[in-house]
Amino acid sequence: MLRYYIALWAAKLSLVALKITKHNGTNFPGIVALRICPDFLTRVAKPETIIGVTGTNGKTTVSNLIKDALAVKGVQVLSNSHGSNIATGVATSFMNGVNIFGKCRYKMAVLEIDERSVTKFFPAFEPDYMIVNNLTRDSIMRNGHPEYIAGILTKYMPAKTKLIINGDDLIACSVSPDNERKYFGISRMDTDVEECINLINDMMICPECNEMLKYDYLRYHHIGKAYCPNCGFKSPECDYLGVNVDTDAMSINVVEKAEPLNETVSYKLINDSVFNIYNVVALVALLREIGYSSADVKEMLEGIEIVKTRFNEKQFGTYTFIRQMSKEKNALASSRVFDYVSSRPGDKELVLMMNCLGDTKTWSENMCWLYDCDFEFLNNDSIRNIVVTGERAKDYYLRLQYAGVPVDRITIVPDEKDIPSGLKLFPYSNVYLFYGTDSLELSYVIGEAIEETMKKKVAEGGDR
Amino acid sequence: MRIEVLYPEICNLYGELGNIRCLKESLPDAEIIETHIKDKPVFLDEEVNLVYMGTMTERGQVMVIDALNPYKDVIKERIHEGMPFLVTGNAFEVFGKEIIEDNVKVADGLGLFDFVSRRSSIQRVNHLYVGDFRVSEEETIKVAGFKSLFGYAYGPAFECKLFDTVLGYGANEEIKEEGIRCHNFMATYLTGPLLILNPPFTKWLMNELMGAKDAVPAHYDAAMDAYNYRIEEYLRPGKGWKYH
Repeated sequence: MLRYYIALWAAKLSLVALKITKHNGTNFPGIVALRICPDFLTRVAKPETIIGVTGTNGKTTVSNLIKDALAVKGVQVLSNSHGSNIATGVATSFMNGVNIFGKCRYKMAVLEIDERSVTKFFPAFEPDYMIVNNLTRDSIMRNGHPEYIAGILTKYMPAKTKLIINGDDLIACSVSPDNERKYFGISRMDTDVEECINLINDMMICPECNEMLKYDYLRYHHIGKAYCPNCGFKSPECDYLGVNVDTDAMSINVVEKAEPLNETVSYKLINDSVFNIYNVVALVALLREIGYSSADVKEMLEGIEIVKTRFNEKQFGTYTFIRQMSKEKNALASSRVFDYVSSRPGDKELVLMMNCLGDTKTWSENMCWLYDCDFEFLNNDSIRNIVVTGERAKDYYLRLQYAGVPVDRITIVPDEKDIPSGLKLFPYSNVYLFYGTDSLELSYVIGEAIEETMKKKVAEGGDR
Repeated sequence: MRIEVLYPEICNLYGELGNIRCLKESLPDAEIIETHIKDKPVFLDEEVNLVYMGTMTERGQVMVIDALNPYKDVIKERIHEGMPFLVTGNAFEVFGKEIIEDNVKVADGLGLFDFVSRRSSIQRVNHLYVGDFRVSEEETIKVAGFKSLFGYAYGPAFECKLFDTVLGYGANEEIKEEGIRCHNFMATYLTGPLLILNPPFTKWLMNELMGAKDAVPAHYDAAMDAYNYRIEEYLRPGKGWKYH
């Protein structure tokens, strides 16, 4: 126990030292704690209720939504929203949650859980609830494939954890079949299809009998409602089903299986992308499961600010400039963004600046994911110029040709700092700068350079 | 020209269906036959110019072995008759003797080649790769790519290697021999869209093995540009080749 307290105090001192020296080491105290006391996560006092959020995409958004929703009701929770979702980040959060005597100051924790790191988390702590938002292809190097991640979650998930699972994702549904669970989902939408139009669908065959699955509807990739024509296997009925999605009124109705028939509650949407609509339904399901009434949940959602789709949008004359996150190495997340952006109104110019800058320093980015990702969405007449750049510019150039994008709509700019020179800046165009987690910092620098170029062009009257 | 893709609903990880896309665009008149897991492969009874199978999940490996096991003697015959095969990533392991995970045997392979696959359920093997592919007594061409796997393969089968490793590991961390080349059967641990990344190899495959004498890989200039850059980049002195 002495070792634990030494670890705790050393971690707290390191936090003070970081603040004094104005360093931003969000994981450092956790590193210190785990180095001194490897079972720190087991020993540290924890809140009475722990809510985990895992899955490939949307962990941060859903965790923040839960935190914000609870804040509307005055509930402060311990979270790792300012740290990372791996062991050192969670250790830092738990360390922050206790005083120097080791007593926990919070009743509830909301933790974003990296799905690959559960091997280090459980059973050091056991979430009472765990949202499994989706399981899709991610980094090939780290995550392999979604079935592998589902296997890891199943192997390590504590038996007591109640799962809140996306019922429209059959890979997520396969996690920990013996755990108590509730499913959430969204009923058929106007944009759904019956045959997959994406390059990847990781749920094409029945897990019971290997027959090809049929889909009542597919939203994207393997997300949808499936059944097996051979053995009767099918997607689960959702306990919380989003219906009547209205992106004009920014509202969704949620039907609860446990409610009397036809009783639905309308909730506010916080964003109009399908990813974020799922996030809202997941939030509703979780809040209802931990005991809030529908009226409470409605009030909580009303209290959360709408996240603008174009949250990084700026206007210069007739030009619109948008910084758009598009996670590198994540074929599905990038496909969703490409689909969304290509369907937006108006002419567009895109800058694909998602290169893994870290990989460039240590080895070379594994580019296999480009051929899982639907660059075909970018073969669209409204997209008039696509700038490819950086170390992997030639790979993107080739991929876009495979997608059918005419070569006269692709501009190669080898050095990122020269990106503005590759823009055509047609009047009234929307310029999107796609950046990944690795190129986040660079995106601010390049974004400013693009803005300056736009301002100059506007001053010269070139935007009309 | 007929190309049979085995089990694309399962064997499709890591962008490897890009290999078929490359052939489809390079050979626009080719018939692409997609054989599903419950169907009998066409190549067992009919001539095809290439059989392709790519990376799959670990559960997928067991399903594929079960599906092909009844035909293993015929597959052996086809290989010895010189039917062209291209097998990438862990599809390669299907053709060995057994698959061992965390020191426990999880599957018997088809046993067509003398090697055993050993993998970890947690640790991934990730590295860049450059190898030499011999096209004649005098000439080799460079092949570049990625390995992203759970383990390695061991056994005498690699004496008939597909590539001589220049950068990276061979079939395992102890050897430089990568993959198997037996008659026109070619199998490699390399993952991803190998044919898109390596237009010289693809051109040889189409011209010399598949009988499309004048075929040129799709988007050839852009592909060659990316290929030349990749080879130079990977072999640059001091360049790291392992993922950390």
